[in-house]
Amino acid sequence: MNMEYKVEAHRIMSISLGKIYNSRVQRGGIKLHKNLLVSLVLRSARQVYLSDYYGGVCVRSPHAGGVEWGEGDQMDSDGSRSTPDEHGGESALVSDDSVRIPEVSVNGPAAAVEGQDIEDLAPGSDYNCQQSPQEDVGSVKTAVSAKRPDASPSPSLSPGAADAEGENQEGSGSAETGGPGSGSEHCVSRSENSQQGSAEVTATCCTRKRGAERSASAGSPVKRPKATAVPALPPVGGEGEGPEDMDTGNVSSLITIFGSSFSGLLSKEGAQPATDSEDSDSGKICCEQMLPNLNPWSTAIVAF
Amino acid sequence: KEGARGGVGGGNDFQWCFSQVKGAIDEDVAEADIISTVEFNYSGELLATGDKGGRVVIFQREQESKNRPHSRGEYNVYSTFQSHEPEFDYLKSLEIEEKINKIRWLPQQNAAHFLLSTNDKTIKLWKISERDKRAEGYNLKDEDGRLRDPFRITSLRVPVLMPMDLMVEASPRRIFANAHTYHINSISVNSDHETYLSADDLRINLWHLEITDRSFNIVDIKPANMEELTEVITAAECHPHQCNVFVYSSSKGTIRLCDMRAAALCDRHTKFFEEPEDPSSRSFFSEIISSISDVKFSHSGRYMMTRDYLSVKVWDLNMENRPVETYQVHEYLRSKLCSLYENDCIFDKFECCWNGSDGAIMTGSYNNFFRMFDRNSRRDITLEASRESSKPRAMLKPRKVCTGGKRKKDEISVDSLDFNKKILHTAWHPKENVIAVAATNNLYIFQDKIN
Repeated sequence: MNMEYKVEAHRIMSISLGKIYNSRVQRGGIKLHKNLLVSLVLRSARQVYLSDYYGGVCVRSPHAGGVEWGEGDQMDSDGSRSTPDEHGGESALVSDDSVRIPEVSVNGPAAAVEGQDIEDLAPGSDYNCQQSPQEDVGSVKTAVSAKRPDASPSPSLSPGAADAEGENQEGSGSAETGGPGSGSEHCVSRSENSQQGSAEVTATCCTRKRGAERSASAGSPVKRPKATAVPALPPVGGEGEGPEDMDTGNVSSLITIFGSSFSGLLSKEGAQPATDSEDSDSGKICCEQMLPNLNPWSTAIVAF
Repeated sequence: KEGARGGVGGGNDFQWCFSQVKGAIDEDVAEADIISTVEFNYSGELLATGDKGGRVVIFQREQESKNRPHSRGEYNVYSTFQSHEPEFDYLKSLEIEEKINKIRWLPQQNAAHFLLSTNDKTIKLWKISERDKRAEGYNLKDEDGRLRDPFRITSLRVPVLMPMDLMVEASPRRIFANAHTYHINSISVNSDHETYLSADDLRINLWHLEITDRSFNIVDIKPANMEELTEVITAAECHPHQCNVFVYSSSKGTIRLCDMRAAALCDRHTKFFEEPEDPSSRSFFSEIISSISDVKFSHSGRYMMTRDYLSVKVWDLNMENRPVETYQVHEYLRSKLCSLYENDCIFDKFECCWNGSDGAIMTGSYNNFFRMFDRNSRRDITLEASRESSKPRAMLKPRKVCTGGKRKKDEISVDSLDFNKKILHTAWHPKENVIAVAATNNLYIFQDKIN
């Protein structure tokens, strides 16, 4: 009985995420009303999912969590790493232990771009993570650069380094407030996990809700609930439709398409321990670990 | 006998009969031709439709023929014009759809007709006027319009007005733009005939019909932090008689009545209408189906009607805690909400309307069905707008949806319903039993039968 509800809730969540994503490319801009309703459904489904989840159906171990997220990521200045269930209900990947997240609101280019003020980042409430194969990183950066007038037009990339301005660099994980006008942007890249010379950024975890960065990530639920907020960008989430992601299960692929707030999934490339045969499982488990830790209400509703 | 009798049909009162259908018959429907709003004017002589392509088509009722005094006048095309064009907001990289969301007529004050039409962002006041005379006998130009050679003019004449074929011209007299950040869902002309309100998801503005560069914001429900957004405005309407009163409905199923005399900003309502939720019917989709898609005052001004996904409710303005009447439109869909969520049908915004006497209400459903409810006799009827029953003056046969068990002959099962054929927009003539039903790209006109 519980399992049925969980499956149903899971399905409804994936459908809802798909709708939020699709709404970005609809003519006439994002419909605030519809997306508000979808986010309510998402929240209801999540509550059911969570209540069932914490009913002891799944047991997550810190080790398993670490496996999913890859070695060496989530490093902060003191190198400690949090476990996923430390912050019940909040996104544990963005725990204060793992990555520093000063709550500084970003006004400036992002605000100018969207014509709206950007809300502060609540601790653990949201973050942007993006897994970008190299060919799509370019488009992302172009978009980001276009949206942030004072970003350098060609952000320098180094192997394994973070991408555009303001995003962090090597996986030392030290917090950095780089980039003009970016305010504080904290990113941890899993560069050490990427193959040399291939993807320049395999996973960039940004713990800031930055307007321009948001706009650069396709269908990011980080977007705010304004009908006029979303610029028309080529969906970066196209990368999520690459073959390596689509076979991990419906929800996880959708989440990868969003490319944000689901950093656990991004370990797919970086998670060395995950063998190919375990891909679907790891992706799915990862997803299932991630979903309860989201705060989809804020992520979805602020998506517009 | 022109009085609206308000009967629903199915009995001895009267029968609804097919009168006309407008629009192409093709199976392949162009999206631009989909009708998005239908509205009779105050006399019922004119019937306006707006479509997704930004066009407005106005039909005019023909005078009753003396030869056939019992036959009702037909509606024929009176004027067609392009009201809105697609636009692009470069600053926000947003395309603005040209779809006409609402048309509202102004009361007629002279020979010309005026209506307001709106898309997501811009409201326009259109003047529709007739020209049936033209001046002939100009001195400086001949009948073709070519300039005459001045040297050949030997005498002066006074131009005279000669009759010509009737020409109906539509011209935009006012453009009310740049006042809405979010998508406009409603416009409503005030009873003072000088002002009107426009509502988007989060704000309501009050305009003067003569002034386009300014509007007053009278409701603003945008939270300081958009993360705290819990509801949006879904519809708004001015009271038919009290020019200081208006209502707006929300996505949470509530209606707020505001009095503009109370404050400049009517964020605090005067009355708050909400029916307590039935906890036993809670589901993932409870919130969606409680969202109100339309609100309409009765002609009397004593009641208002709201439409949510599954029902229509009539509220007495003097009672806030629950509606006085609730009518189920298609309750059999309650068990299908998940599928309807998947295919987006659950987001369809059905409208509703009163008849002239407020004795009956009408709203649309799927499979090109529409429903009428008689408030006095409590009878209801389901009718279908279909080409099959489109023979002149053919009586409409009541339809029935089989909700379970054995399907009787002529019933249709829920799973056979065509959810692409939805009737979202209907209108009832203000004085007679004539209704206009928009079925995708076709406009059906039905009348009651004259014995």
